[in-house]
Amino acid sequence: MKDEFKPRIIGFLCNWCSYAGADLAGTSRLQYPPSLLPIRVMCSSRVDPLFVISAFLRGADAVLIAGCHPGDCHYQEGNYYARRRFACVRKVFETLGMESDRLRLSWISASEGPRFANVITEYTEKIKKMGPNPAKKNIFL
Amino acid sequence: MKVAKIKVKDNIEKTVLSFLRETIDKKLFDAILIPMMVPAGDSYAWVLAQDKSLLDGAYYLPPIMSVQGAKALSSVTKGGKVNKRVAAIMRPCEIRAAIELSKLNQIELENIFLISMDCPGALPLKDWLKDPKRGVDVFKKVIQHFVDEEPKPDKSVRPACAICHRFSDSDAVDLHIGILGTEGEDILFIPHSTQAEAIFAELGLSLNENLSRWQKGVDEVLKQRKKKRAQVQEELKSTVVGFDKLLDTFSNCINCHICQSVCPICYCRQCYFDSDKVKHPPDDYLMRAESKGNISLLPDKILFHLGRMSHMALSCVGCGACEDACPMSIKVAQIFSLIADRSQGLFNYIAGKSIEEPLPMRVYEDDEFHEVESP
Repeated sequence: MKDEFKPRIIGFLCNWCSYAGADLAGTSRLQYPPSLLPIRVMCSSRVDPLFVISAFLRGADAVLIAGCHPGDCHYQEGNYYARRRFACVRKVFETLGMESDRLRLSWISASEGPRFANVITEYTEKIKKMGPNPAKKNIFL
Repeated sequence: MKVAKIKVKDNIEKTVLSFLRETIDKKLFDAILIPMMVPAGDSYAWVLAQDKSLLDGAYYLPPIMSVQGAKALSSVTKGGKVNKRVAAIMRPCEIRAAIELSKLNQIELENIFLISMDCPGALPLKDWLKDPKRGVDVFKKVIQHFVDEEPKPDKSVRPACAICHRFSDSDAVDLHIGILGTEGEDILFIPHSTQAEAIFAELGLSLNENLSRWQKGVDEVLKQRKKKRAQVQEELKSTVVGFDKLLDTFSNCINCHICQSVCPICYCRQCYFDSDKVKHPPDDYLMRAESKGNISLLPDKILFHLGRMSHMALSCVGCGACEDACPMSIKVAQIFSLIADRSQGLFNYIAGKSIEEPLPMRVYEDDEFHEVESP
Protein backbone atom coordinates (compact mmCIF):
# COMPACT_ATOMS: atom_id res chain seq x y z
CA MET A 1 0.00 0.00 0.00
CA LYS A 2 2.83 2.31 0.97
CA ASP A 3 4.38 2.31 -2.51
CA GLU A 4 1.21 3.04 -4.39
CA PHE A 5 1.72 5.92 -6.79
CA LYS A 6 -0.44 8.91 -5.97
CA PRO A 7 -0.32 11.45 -8.77
CA ARG A 8 0.19 15.10 -7.95
CA ILE A 9 -1.65 17.35 -10.35
CA ILE A 10 -1.14 21.09 -10.38
CA GLY A 11 -4.37 22.79 -11.40
CA PHE A 12 -4.58 26.36 -12.60
CA LEU A 13 -8.24 27.21 -12.08
CA CYS A 14 -9.82 30.40 -13.29
CA ASN A 15 -11.39 32.46 -10.55
CA TRP A 16 -14.77 32.93 -12.19
CA CYS A 17 -15.69 29.47 -13.43
CA SER A 18 -13.48 26.52 -12.63
CA TYR A 19 -12.47 27.59 -9.13
CA ALA A 20 -16.13 28.16 -8.33
CA GLY A 21 -16.87 24.78 -9.92
CA ALA A 22 -14.32 23.20 -7.57
CA ASP A 23 -15.96 25.02 -4.70
CA LEU A 24 -19.33 23.68 -5.70
CA ALA A 25 -17.93 20.15 -5.85
CA GLY A 26 -16.71 20.66 -2.31
CA THR A 27 -19.88 22.16 -0.88
CA SER A 28 -21.87 19.43 -2.62
CA ARG A 29 -19.64 16.94 -0.78
CA LEU A 30 -18.69 15.14 -3.97
CA GLN A 31 -15.95 12.57 -3.67
CA TYR A 32 -12.87 12.84 -5.86
CA PRO A 33 -9.18 11.88 -5.37
CA PRO A 34 -7.07 14.30 -3.33
CA SER A 35 -4.53 14.58 -6.16
CA LEU A 36 -5.17 18.13 -7.25
CA LEU A 37 -3.22 21.07 -5.94
CA PRO A 38 -5.35 24.00 -7.06
CA ILE A 39 -3.89 27.40 -7.84
CA ARG A 40 -6.38 30.14 -8.41
CA VAL A 41 -5.70 32.50 -11.31
CA MET A 42 -7.89 35.38 -12.37
CA CYS A 43 -8.23 33.98 -15.89
CA SER A 44 -7.00 30.91 -17.75
CA SER A 45 -5.11 33.29 -20.03
CA ARG A 46 -3.04 34.37 -17.02
CA VAL A 47 -1.26 31.04 -17.24
CA ASP A 48 2.09 31.65 -18.88
CA PRO A 49 3.71 28.63 -20.56
CA LEU A 50 6.42 29.01 -17.94
CA PHE A 51 3.98 28.15 -15.14
CA VAL A 52 3.23 24.90 -16.89
CA ILE A 53 6.84 24.03 -17.67
CA SER A 54 7.97 25.05 -14.22
CA ALA A 55 5.38 22.84 -12.54
CA PHE A 56 6.30 19.97 -14.82
CA LEU A 57 10.04 20.26 -14.24
CA ARG A 58 9.59 20.66 -10.50
CA GLY A 59 7.96 17.26 -10.46
CA ALA A 60 4.23 17.70 -10.98
CA ASP A 61 2.87 14.52 -12.54
CA ALA A 62 0.43 16.56 -14.58
CA VAL A 63 -0.73 20.11 -15.11
CA LEU A 64 -4.38 21.01 -15.57
CA ILE A 65 -5.56 24.35 -16.85
CA ALA A 66 -9.27 24.95 -16.39
CA GLY A 67 -11.32 27.97 -17.35
CA CYS A 68 -14.75 29.16 -18.42
CA HIS A 69 -16.30 27.56 -21.48
CA PRO A 70 -15.47 29.37 -24.75
CA GLY A 71 -17.85 32.28 -25.06
CA ASP A 72 -18.37 32.49 -21.30
CA CYS A 73 -15.10 34.14 -20.30
CA HIS A 74 -15.53 36.75 -17.57
CA TYR A 75 -13.15 38.91 -19.60
CA GLN A 76 -14.93 38.11 -22.88
CA GLU A 77 -12.04 36.47 -24.73
CA GLY A 78 -9.33 35.37 -22.28
CA ASN A 79 -9.98 31.65 -22.65
CA TYR A 80 -9.63 31.83 -26.44
CA TYR A 81 -6.10 33.15 -25.97
CA ALA A 82 -5.48 30.55 -23.29
CA ARG A 83 -6.43 27.86 -25.78
CA ARG A 84 -3.97 29.20 -28.35
CA ARG A 85 -1.20 29.38 -25.78
CA PHE A 86 -1.97 25.90 -24.58
CA ALA A 87 -1.93 24.52 -28.12
CA CYS A 88 1.48 26.08 -28.53
CA VAL A 89 3.06 24.76 -25.34
CA ARG A 90 1.57 21.34 -26.06
CA LYS A 91 3.17 21.45 -29.49
CA VAL A 92 6.54 22.23 -27.93
CA PHE A 93 6.14 19.22 -25.63
CA GLU A 94 5.09 16.98 -28.52
CA THR A 95 7.92 18.12 -30.75
CA LEU A 96 10.49 17.42 -28.07
CA GLY A 97 9.02 14.00 -27.38
CA MET A 98 7.82 14.89 -23.91
CA GLU A 99 4.57 13.42 -22.67
CA SER A 100 2.06 16.03 -23.75
CA ASP A 101 -0.74 13.99 -22.14
CA ARG A 102 0.54 15.28 -18.83
CA LEU A 103 -0.90 18.65 -19.84
CA ARG A 104 -4.62 19.12 -19.97
CA LEU A 105 -7.00 21.93 -20.80
CA SER A 106 -10.63 21.61 -19.72
CA TRP A 107 -13.55 23.98 -19.55
CA ILE A 108 -15.47 23.78 -16.28
CA SER A 109 -18.17 26.30 -15.42
CA ALA A 110 -19.16 27.51 -11.96
CA SER A 111 -22.25 25.30 -11.99
CA GLU A 112 -20.44 22.13 -13.01
CA GLY A 113 -19.42 20.75 -9.62
CA PRO A 114 -20.03 17.12 -10.66
CA ARG A 115 -18.11 17.70 -13.87
CA PHE A 116 -15.18 19.06 -11.88
CA ALA A 117 -15.15 15.94 -9.71
CA ASN A 118 -15.34 13.79 -12.84
CA VAL A 119 -12.48 15.56 -14.57
CA ILE A 120 -10.22 15.16 -11.55
CA THR A 121 -11.17 11.51 -11.04
CA GLU A 122 -10.72 10.61 -14.67
CA TYR A 123 -7.47 12.53 -15.09
CA THR A 124 -6.00 11.10 -11.90
CA GLU A 125 -6.74 7.58 -13.18
CA LYS A 126 -5.06 8.38 -16.48
CA ILE A 127 -1.94 9.77 -14.84
CA LYS A 128 -1.83 6.79 -12.49
CA LYS A 129 -1.59 4.58 -15.54
CA MET A 130 1.14 6.78 -17.04
CA GLY A 131 3.23 6.59 -13.89
CA PRO A 132 5.31 9.27 -12.19
CA ASN A 133 6.73 12.21 -14.10
CA PRO A 134 10.26 11.24 -15.23
CA ALA A 135 11.45 14.78 -14.41
CA LYS A 136 10.78 14.12 -10.74
CA LYS A 137 13.90 12.10 -10.16
CA ASN A 138 16.16 13.73 -12.71
CA ILE A 139 18.70 15.98 -11.08
CA PHE A 140 20.26 17.56 -14.16
CA LEU A 141 17.50 19.97 -14.92
CA MET B 1 7.50 41.75 -62.55
CA LYS B 2 9.98 44.27 -63.86
CA VAL B 3 13.45 44.74 -62.52
CA ALA B 4 16.48 46.90 -63.10
CA LYS B 5 19.60 45.06 -64.18
CA ILE B 6 22.96 46.58 -63.44
CA LYS B 7 26.22 45.22 -64.83
CA VAL B 8 28.71 44.29 -62.15
CA LYS B 9 31.81 46.47 -62.08
CA ASP B 10 34.78 44.94 -60.22
CA ASN B 11 32.61 42.93 -57.88
CA ILE B 12 29.06 42.67 -56.57
CA GLU B 13 29.90 44.38 -53.29
CA LYS B 14 31.33 47.49 -54.98
CA THR B 15 28.49 47.70 -57.47
CA VAL B 16 25.84 47.63 -54.76
CA LEU B 17 27.76 50.24 -52.79
CA SER B 18 28.00 52.56 -55.75
CA PHE B 19 24.22 52.26 -56.14
CA LEU B 20 23.80 53.18 -52.47
CA ARG B 21 26.25 56.06 -52.82
CA GLU B 22 24.18 57.45 -55.63
CA THR B 23 21.00 57.34 -53.55
CA ILE B 24 22.74 59.41 -50.87
CA ASP B 25 24.22 61.70 -53.52
CA LYS B 26 20.79 62.38 -54.97
CA LYS B 27 19.47 62.92 -51.42
CA LEU B 28 16.98 60.08 -51.71
CA PHE B 29 17.97 58.96 -48.23
CA ASP B 30 19.37 60.87 -45.28
CA ALA B 31 21.19 57.88 -43.91
CA ILE B 32 21.91 54.24 -44.64
CA LEU B 33 22.05 51.57 -41.96
CA ILE B 34 24.71 49.16 -43.13
CA PRO B 35 27.44 46.93 -41.69
CA MET B 36 30.93 48.36 -41.83
CA MET B 37 34.28 46.73 -41.22
CA VAL B 38 35.75 47.84 -37.90
CA PRO B 39 39.19 49.54 -38.04
CA ALA B 40 40.89 46.43 -36.66
CA GLY B 41 39.60 44.57 -39.70
CA ASP B 42 38.33 41.58 -37.78
CA SER B 43 34.63 42.28 -37.49
CA TYR B 44 31.70 44.28 -38.79
CA ALA B 45 29.56 46.79 -36.94
CA TRP B 46 26.31 48.48 -37.90
CA VAL B 47 26.69 52.13 -38.82
CA LEU B 48 24.24 54.81 -39.74
CA ALA B 49 26.14 56.36 -42.64
CA GLN B 50 24.96 59.83 -43.55
CA ASP B 51 27.79 60.73 -45.87
CA LYS B 52 28.67 58.86 -49.02
CA SER B 53 32.37 58.89 -48.20
CA LEU B 54 31.52 56.97 -45.05
CA LEU B 55 30.29 54.12 -47.17
CA ASP B 56 33.83 53.19 -48.17
CA GLY B 57 34.34 50.53 -45.56
CA ALA B 58 30.74 49.32 -45.74
CA TYR B 59 29.68 45.83 -46.75
CA TYR B 60 26.12 45.18 -47.80
CA LEU B 61 26.66 41.46 -47.20
CA PRO B 62 29.40 40.88 -44.62
CA PRO B 63 30.85 37.38 -44.12
CA ILE B 64 29.56 37.19 -40.55
CA MET B 65 26.52 38.29 -38.62
CA SER B 66 28.08 39.89 -35.57
CA VAL B 67 24.99 41.80 -34.42
CA GLN B 68 21.54 40.93 -35.70
CA GLY B 69 20.49 43.88 -37.86
CA ALA B 70 17.00 44.10 -36.39
CA LYS B 71 18.58 44.92 -33.03
CA ALA B 72 20.46 47.78 -34.65
CA LEU B 73 17.31 49.04 -36.34
CA SER B 74 15.36 48.72 -33.11
CA SER B 75 17.85 50.93 -31.28
CA VAL B 76 17.25 53.67 -33.87
CA THR B 77 13.47 53.42 -34.07
CA LYS B 78 12.06 52.04 -30.84
CA GLY B 79 11.29 55.57 -29.65
CA GLY B 80 8.89 55.99 -32.55
CA LYS B 81 9.02 57.32 -36.06
CA VAL B 82 12.39 58.67 -37.17
CA ASN B 83 12.32 62.05 -38.88
CA LYS B 84 14.89 61.08 -41.45
CA ARG B 85 14.61 58.84 -44.44
CA VAL B 86 16.71 55.84 -43.55
CA ALA B 87 17.52 52.91 -45.79
CA ALA B 88 18.32 49.72 -43.89
CA ILE B 89 20.14 47.04 -45.83
CA MET B 90 19.89 43.72 -44.08
CA ARG B 91 19.90 39.97 -44.61
CA PRO B 92 16.44 38.43 -45.12
CA CYS B 93 16.44 36.96 -41.59
CA GLU B 94 17.26 40.38 -40.19
CA ILE B 95 14.40 41.87 -42.22
CA ARG B 96 12.05 39.20 -40.85
CA ALA B 97 13.17 39.97 -37.31
CA ALA B 98 12.56 43.67 -38.00
CA ILE B 99 9.03 42.95 -39.23
CA GLU B 100 8.37 40.78 -36.21
CA LEU B 101 9.72 43.47 -33.88
CA SER B 102 7.56 46.10 -35.53
CA LYS B 103 4.54 43.96 -34.71
CA LEU B 104 5.86 43.78 -31.15
CA ASN B 105 6.15 47.59 -31.09
CA GLN B 106 9.92 47.59 -30.85
CA ILE B 107 10.55 49.00 -34.31
CA GLU B 108 8.71 51.73 -36.16
CA LEU B 109 9.02 51.15 -39.87
CA GLU B 110 7.68 54.47 -41.07
CA ASN B 111 10.35 56.34 -43.02
CA ILE B 112 12.46 53.19 -43.09
CA PHE B 113 13.25 51.82 -46.52
CA LEU B 114 14.05 48.12 -46.24
CA ILE B 115 16.52 46.53 -48.61
CA SER B 116 17.20 42.80 -48.61
CA MET B 117 19.34 40.54 -50.75
CA ASP B 118 19.75 36.92 -51.77
CA CYS B 119 21.72 35.65 -48.83
CA PRO B 120 24.15 32.73 -49.12
CA GLY B 121 24.45 32.60 -45.32
CA ALA B 122 27.11 33.76 -42.92
CA LEU B 123 30.26 32.14 -41.60
CA PRO B 124 30.26 30.80 -38.03
CA LEU B 125 31.80 33.37 -35.68
CA LYS B 126 34.08 30.73 -34.20
CA ASP B 127 35.59 29.87 -37.59
CA TRP B 128 35.84 33.51 -38.51
CA LEU B 129 37.75 34.48 -35.37
CA LYS B 130 40.47 31.91 -36.05
CA ASP B 131 41.53 33.87 -39.12
CA PRO B 132 39.41 36.77 -40.35
CA LYS B 133 41.56 37.36 -43.43
CA ARG B 134 41.08 33.79 -44.56
CA GLY B 135 37.40 34.18 -43.70
CA VAL B 136 37.05 36.93 -46.27
CA ASP B 137 38.39 34.61 -48.97
CA VAL B 138 36.24 31.71 -47.79
CA PHE B 139 33.18 33.93 -48.02
CA LYS B 140 34.09 35.00 -51.55
CA LYS B 141 33.98 31.32 -52.51
CA VAL B 142 30.64 30.94 -50.74
CA ILE B 143 29.19 33.72 -52.87
CA GLN B 144 30.70 32.29 -56.02
CA HIS B 145 29.11 28.91 -55.37
CA PHE B 146 25.85 30.64 -54.53
CA VAL B 147 25.52 32.75 -57.68
CA ASP B 148 26.70 30.01 -60.02
CA GLU B 149 24.32 28.97 -62.73
CA GLU B 150 24.26 25.62 -60.97
CA PRO B 151 24.50 26.70 -57.34
CA LYS B 152 26.36 24.43 -54.96
CA PRO B 153 25.75 24.27 -51.21
CA ASP B 154 28.79 25.44 -49.29
CA LYS B 155 29.83 23.67 -46.10
CA SER B 156 31.51 26.70 -44.57
CA VAL B 157 28.30 28.58 -43.69
CA ARG B 158 26.65 28.34 -40.30
CA PRO B 159 24.40 25.32 -39.71
CA ALA B 160 21.39 27.62 -39.31
CA CYS B 161 22.15 29.17 -42.72
CA ALA B 162 22.67 25.82 -44.40
CA ILE B 163 19.07 24.88 -43.57
CA CYS B 164 17.58 28.34 -44.22
CA HIS B 165 14.88 28.20 -46.88
CA ARG B 166 13.94 31.87 -46.63
CA PHE B 167 17.23 33.20 -47.99
CA SER B 168 15.47 35.17 -50.70
CA ASP B 169 12.16 36.10 -49.06
CA SER B 170 11.30 39.61 -50.01
CA ASP B 171 7.58 40.07 -49.38
CA ALA B 172 7.99 42.79 -46.81
CA VAL B 173 10.86 44.82 -48.26
CA ASP B 174 10.93 47.87 -50.51
CA LEU B 175 13.80 46.66 -52.61
CA HIS B 176 15.39 43.27 -53.09
CA ILE B 177 18.85 42.73 -54.51
CA GLY B 178 18.98 39.56 -56.59
CA ILE B 179 22.32 37.94 -57.26
CA LEU B 180 21.32 34.31 -57.76
CA GLY B 181 21.75 32.66 -61.11
CA THR B 182 23.75 35.58 -62.50
CA GLU B 183 27.23 34.08 -62.35
CA GLY B 184 28.24 37.32 -60.63
CA GLU B 185 27.90 39.27 -63.88
CA ASP B 186 24.78 41.26 -63.11
CA ILE B 187 22.79 42.46 -60.16
CA LEU B 188 19.02 42.61 -60.24
CA PHE B 189 17.34 45.38 -58.33
CA ILE B 190 13.81 44.20 -57.73
CA PRO B 191 11.36 46.89 -56.56
CA HIS B 192 8.56 45.88 -54.20
CA SER B 193 7.04 49.26 -53.44
CA THR B 194 6.07 52.41 -55.30
CA GLN B 195 8.73 54.20 -53.31
CA ALA B 196 11.36 51.89 -54.76
CA GLU B 197 10.03 52.53 -58.26
CA ALA B 198 10.19 56.27 -57.64
CA ILE B 199 13.81 55.90 -56.60
CA PHE B 200 14.57 53.96 -59.76
CA ALA B 201 13.02 56.73 -61.83
CA GLU B 202 15.07 59.31 -59.93
CA LEU B 203 18.25 57.37 -60.63
CA GLY B 204 17.30 56.86 -64.26
CA LEU B 205 17.23 53.07 -64.01
CA SER B 206 15.02 51.47 -66.59
CA LEU B 207 12.81 48.58 -65.67
CA ASN B 208 12.68 45.90 -68.27
CA GLU B 209 14.63 42.77 -67.49
CA ASN B 210 12.85 39.49 -67.04
CA LEU B 211 13.53 37.40 -64.00
CA SER B 212 13.73 33.88 -65.36
CA ARG B 213 17.46 33.33 -64.80
CA TRP B 214 17.30 34.60 -61.24
CA GLN B 215 14.13 32.63 -60.51
CA LYS B 216 15.86 29.48 -61.70
CA GLY B 217 18.73 30.11 -59.29
CA VAL B 218 16.34 30.78 -56.43
CA ASP B 219 14.38 27.61 -57.13
CA GLU B 220 17.52 25.51 -57.26
CA VAL B 221 18.92 26.81 -53.97
CA LEU B 222 15.47 26.51 -52.40
CA LYS B 223 15.33 22.86 -53.41
CA GLN B 224 18.75 22.18 -51.89
CA ARG B 225 18.05 24.05 -48.67
CA LYS B 226 14.67 22.41 -48.15
CA LYS B 227 16.22 19.00 -48.61
CA LYS B 228 19.00 19.82 -46.14
CA ARG B 229 16.47 21.23 -43.67
CA ALA B 230 14.39 18.08 -43.74
CA GLN B 231 17.51 15.95 -43.34
CA VAL B 232 18.86 17.96 -40.39
CA GLN B 233 15.49 17.98 -38.64
CA GLU B 234 15.18 14.25 -39.12
CA GLU B 235 18.62 13.74 -37.58
CA LEU B 236 17.69 16.03 -34.71
CA LYS B 237 14.77 13.82 -33.89
CA SER B 238 17.11 10.97 -33.05
CA THR B 239 19.43 13.12 -30.92
CA VAL B 240 17.10 15.59 -29.22
CA VAL B 241 13.59 14.19 -29.09
CA GLY B 242 12.70 12.45 -25.83
CA PHE B 243 13.09 13.90 -22.36
CA ASP B 244 16.39 12.16 -21.60
CA LYS B 245 17.90 13.10 -24.92
CA LEU B 246 16.75 16.66 -24.45
CA LEU B 247 18.59 16.78 -21.14
CA ASP B 248 21.67 15.31 -22.80
CA THR B 249 21.54 17.98 -25.48
CA PHE B 250 21.50 20.79 -22.98
CA SER B 251 23.72 19.04 -20.44
CA ASN B 252 26.73 21.18 -21.25
CA CYS B 253 24.82 24.46 -21.17
CA ILE B 254 26.73 26.84 -18.88
CA ASN B 255 23.75 29.04 -18.06
CA CYS B 256 25.26 32.14 -19.63
CA HIS B 257 21.97 33.14 -21.33
CA ILE B 258 23.87 34.49 -24.30
CA CYS B 259 21.36 32.82 -26.66
CA GLN B 260 18.74 35.05 -25.09
CA SER B 261 20.75 38.27 -25.16
CA VAL B 262 21.69 37.98 -28.84
CA CYS B 263 18.18 36.95 -29.92
CA PRO B 264 16.58 39.82 -31.84
CA ILE B 265 13.11 38.74 -30.82
CA CYS B 266 13.85 38.48 -27.08
CA TYR B 267 13.28 42.17 -26.51
CA CYS B 268 11.85 42.33 -22.99
CA ARG B 269 13.73 44.87 -20.92
CA GLN B 270 13.43 42.67 -17.90
CA CYS B 271 13.39 38.99 -18.59
CA TYR B 272 11.80 36.62 -16.11
CA PHE B 273 14.97 34.58 -16.20
CA ASP B 274 17.11 37.54 -15.14
CA SER B 275 14.70 38.51 -12.39
CA ASP B 276 14.81 37.69 -8.72
CA LYS B 277 11.95 35.29 -9.41
CA VAL B 278 14.39 32.58 -10.45
CA LYS B 279 16.80 33.26 -7.61
CA HIS B 280 15.22 31.02 -5.04
CA PRO B 281 16.13 31.15 -1.37
CA PRO B 282 18.81 28.63 -0.35
CA ASP B 283 16.27 26.65 1.64
CA ASP B 284 14.35 25.99 -1.54
CA TYR B 285 17.35 24.27 -3.12
CA LEU B 286 18.00 22.25 0.01
CA MET B 287 14.37 21.19 0.01
CA ARG B 288 14.53 20.15 -3.63
CA ALA B 289 17.76 18.26 -2.97
CA GLU B 290 16.09 16.45 -0.12
CA SER B 291 13.10 15.36 -2.14
CA LYS B 292 15.18 14.21 -5.10
CA GLY B 293 18.16 12.96 -3.15
CA ASN B 294 20.34 15.22 -5.25
CA ILE B 295 20.22 18.44 -7.22
CA SER B 296 22.52 20.04 -9.74
CA LEU B 297 23.38 23.70 -9.37
CA LEU B 298 22.63 26.14 -10.81
CA PRO B 299 19.21 24.64 -11.38
CA ASP B 300 16.45 25.61 -13.83
CA LYS B 301 18.65 25.25 -16.91
CA ILE B 302 16.06 23.26 -18.83
CA LEU B 303 13.32 25.59 -17.58
CA PHE B 304 15.20 28.42 -19.26
CA HIS B 305 15.46 26.65 -22.60
CA LEU B 306 11.94 25.24 -22.61
CA GLY B 307 10.64 28.61 -21.47
CA ARG B 308 12.45 30.41 -24.24
CA MET B 309 11.19 27.90 -26.77
CA SER B 310 7.58 28.30 -25.77
CA HIS B 311 7.87 32.08 -25.57
CA MET B 312 9.83 32.67 -28.76
CA ALA B 313 8.93 29.83 -31.12
CA LEU B 314 6.07 31.71 -32.75
CA SER B 315 8.29 34.64 -33.60
CA CYS B 316 11.56 32.81 -34.30
CA VAL B 317 12.90 33.92 -37.67
CA GLY B 318 15.67 31.31 -37.76
CA CYS B 319 18.55 33.79 -37.95
CA GLY B 320 20.85 31.46 -35.99
CA ALA B 321 22.32 34.19 -33.79
CA CYS B 322 21.72 32.05 -30.68
CA GLU B 323 23.68 29.09 -31.98
CA ASP B 324 26.43 31.31 -33.36
CA ALA B 325 26.95 32.89 -29.96
CA CYS B 326 26.69 29.74 -27.84
CA PRO B 327 30.12 29.12 -26.28
CA MET B 328 29.31 25.44 -25.87
CA SER B 329 28.18 24.92 -29.47
CA ILE B 330 24.76 23.63 -28.49
CA LYS B 331 22.52 23.27 -31.55
CA VAL B 332 20.08 25.87 -30.25
CA ALA B 333 19.07 27.32 -33.59
CA GLN B 334 18.56 23.93 -35.19
CA ILE B 335 16.33 22.82 -32.35
CA PHE B 336 14.50 26.11 -32.59
CA SER B 337 13.98 25.54 -36.32
CA LEU B 338 12.12 22.36 -35.51
CA ILE B 339 10.01 23.92 -32.75
CA ALA B 340 9.34 27.06 -34.79
CA ASP B 341 8.23 25.14 -37.89
CA ARG B 342 5.81 23.07 -35.85
CA SER B 343 4.34 25.79 -33.70
CA GLN B 344 4.11 28.44 -36.40
CA GLY B 345 2.52 25.74 -38.52
CA LEU B 346 -0.30 25.47 -35.99
CA PHE B 347 -1.40 28.97 -36.94
CA ASN B 348 -0.27 28.97 -40.59
CA TYR B 349 2.00 31.77 -39.56
CA ILE B 350 5.47 32.58 -40.83
CA ALA B 351 7.38 34.89 -38.50
CA GLY B 352 8.35 38.13 -40.17
CA LYS B 353 6.91 37.25 -43.55
CA SER B 354 4.40 40.03 -43.80
CA ILE B 355 3.55 43.07 -41.80
CA GLU B 356 -0.19 42.49 -42.25
CA GLU B 357 -0.31 39.01 -40.72
CA PRO B 358 -1.18 39.51 -37.03
CA LEU B 359 0.85 37.79 -34.31
CA PRO B 360 -0.89 34.47 -33.53
CA MET B 361 -1.27 35.36 -29.87
CA ARG B 362 -3.05 38.62 -30.65
CA VAL B 363 -5.99 37.05 -32.45
CA TYR B 364 -8.22 34.00 -32.10
CA GLU B 365 -11.13 32.24 -33.67
CA ASP B 366 -14.19 30.95 -31.85
CA ASP B 367 -14.00 27.57 -33.44
CA GLU B 368 -10.48 26.17 -33.36
CA PHE B 369 -8.04 23.83 -31.58
CA HIS B 370 -10.74 21.57 -30.20
CA GLU B 371 -8.18 18.77 -30.35
CA VAL B 372 -6.27 20.26 -27.40
CA GLU B 373 -9.37 20.55 -25.22
CA SER B 374 -10.23 17.62 -23.02
CA PRO B 375 -13.93 17.10 -22.42
